[in-house]
Amino acid sequence: MIVSVRDLTIGFRGDDRDLVAVDRISFDVEEGETFVIIGESGSGKSLTGMSIAGLQPRIAFVSGSILFKNREALNQPDAELRRIRGAEIGLIYQDPLGSLNPVWPVGNQIAETLTAHGLARPAAAMERAIEMLDRVHIPDPARVAAAYPHEISGGMRQRAMIAMALAASPSLLIADEPTTALDVTIKAQILELLAEVKREMSLTVILITHDMGVVAEIADRILVMYAGRIAEIGSADEIMLHPSHPYTAALMTSAMISETPAKQELNAIVGGIPGLDALPSGCRFHPRCPRAKADCVTAEPRRREFGAVEVACFHPIVAEAVAPARTGRGAS
Amino acid sequence: MSVSAASPRRLKAQPVGVLLPLALVVLAILVAFTLVPGLIAPHNPIALAMSDRLKPPSLLHPFGTDEGGRDVFSRVVFGARYSLGVAIAIVFVSALFGVLYGALSGMAGGRLDNLMMRIVDLFFGFPALVLALAIAASMGRGLGSVALSLSLIWWPGYARLVRGEVLRLRERPHVEAARALGVSRFVILLRHIIPFVVQEVNVRITTDIGYALVAVTALSFLGLGANSPTPEWGLLIRDSRPYFGSAWWYLVFPGAMIMMTATASSIIGDALASRRPG
Repeated sequence: MIVSVRDLTIGFRGDDRDLVAVDRISFDVEEGETFVIIGESGSGKSLTGMSIAGLQPRIAFVSGSILFKNREALNQPDAELRRIRGAEIGLIYQDPLGSLNPVWPVGNQIAETLTAHGLARPAAAMERAIEMLDRVHIPDPARVAAAYPHEISGGMRQRAMIAMALAASPSLLIADEPTTALDVTIKAQILELLAEVKREMSLTVILITHDMGVVAEIADRILVMYAGRIAEIGSADEIMLHPSHPYTAALMTSAMISETPAKQELNAIVGGIPGLDALPSGCRFHPRCPRAKADCVTAEPRRREFGAVEVACFHPIVAEAVAPARTGRGAS
Repeated sequence: MSVSAASPRRLKAQPVGVLLPLALVVLAILVAFTLVPGLIAPHNPIALAMSDRLKPPSLLHPFGTDEGGRDVFSRVVFGARYSLGVAIAIVFVSALFGVLYGALSGMAGGRLDNLMMRIVDLFFGFPALVLALAIAASMGRGLGSVALSLSLIWWPGYARLVRGEVLRLRERPHVEAARALGVSRFVILLRHIIPFVVQEVNVRITTDIGYALVAVTALSFLGLGANSPTPEWGLLIRDSRPYFGSAWWYLVFPGAMIMMTATASSIIGDALASRRPG
């Protein structure tokens, strides 16, 4: 495994008590897989993903352990983390326009990744930057390398961000909502590109999203997060076909709207994600859960094996009981 | 450009549009005064000519003469070097030091930042006049003392401005992205933060030159600055006081120079401010 997270807790010091956004979660990411962390806004998914590169917010406190290639990555000195960032872990953000510095040409910023790690001298780094732009299928890469971020399209910017993240040939790519700011056709192209570079550069990809469509497209394994806890974790095929946690099931049905006929009822999940200062007792999903019983209110379910997946629920959905979800969605 | 002339940007730019050319003319004149006073001034600014004492403005002496028979216009021309020169020096030294200090403080964060900002407060709160008096007392009065005392109270403004900007800018996504790529703090500061701070600092410098000029001339006027017979503008006004009743030109022209310079600096600063991108 390339990443091993144990009892990761991320919180913020409050005035009278601490607000815990990610609560004692553990998971492994295997080398070469596409691991998707999915959850609503506020579920702690981005905090979890970013903390692997040591990029949690300055004001957050973090405990537990994150092993990256068997080396502790948590609470390491900045100089240590800087060696890993960019060189061994590449990151892509949601907002490609904001993430590019408006005062420097695109190529210049891709080259910076290489010069920052002493991997190339400026001239050679620039050549490599143009190569990378070509690699992410940007037409006329030399011209785009000399262009400023505002001069190129949103899709191109995200491609440039991918080129930037991969310039130093990292082995792990963390993508935080990489397609959220893009329109549907560009989104499909970017996902396709991610799948392609992953294959060609033998990358491990951790993708953070709230979009079930993205999951279906490229996930090998899924981690479903809810209010800072893991709801369900397991192979993507298994979870997509037979969601065991009622929350996962609800996410699946709410995600089908775009592809189902207009007549079908829109399945939104009732209620909203709880605030960090008002987490419910027991299972954190129980106030919104259609299957909640008395024990869900009093005790927090432990994660346990259930069929081919692990699920933290007292009353998981038995595979047969679920209406067949989307099957055989091609990757086209 | 499009026809939509009523955009807020254009409305805002309009008043500047009238004054800016005037301010730029004043600036051009000042630059000429400072660089080549010998080519512009018709007379020697220092040499006495007692037969020409306190003559009113004429073709020979456009701003009249002073109590020593010296040409006030020539003294004003040569004075730009002293008054404006010292003001510019104060602002640039302050900006250079303040930017460095503020950037370091902002990047350091935490306790060090806190300590560095308390030191800034210390200098910020110090009354300029008291400091100038103390320095003049220990170093002797002169433009050097003026430059030192004003620089000491001037740099904290830049340190505060830049620190605030750094704190704001370092949360920008592109700074976060650079951090995520393993770019060092120093390079982040240099390439991803300073270019955005520079715009703010440029505006501040332009406006501050006018304020600094007023401060320099004020200290000279109070007798803490330049010594006779240096043709420093504040000193000209100081020397003119006994003759105001009979020789208005001696006071009015140097005063007008100070006012015009300070106003031009403020107008050009405003113009820069309204032209910088968000």
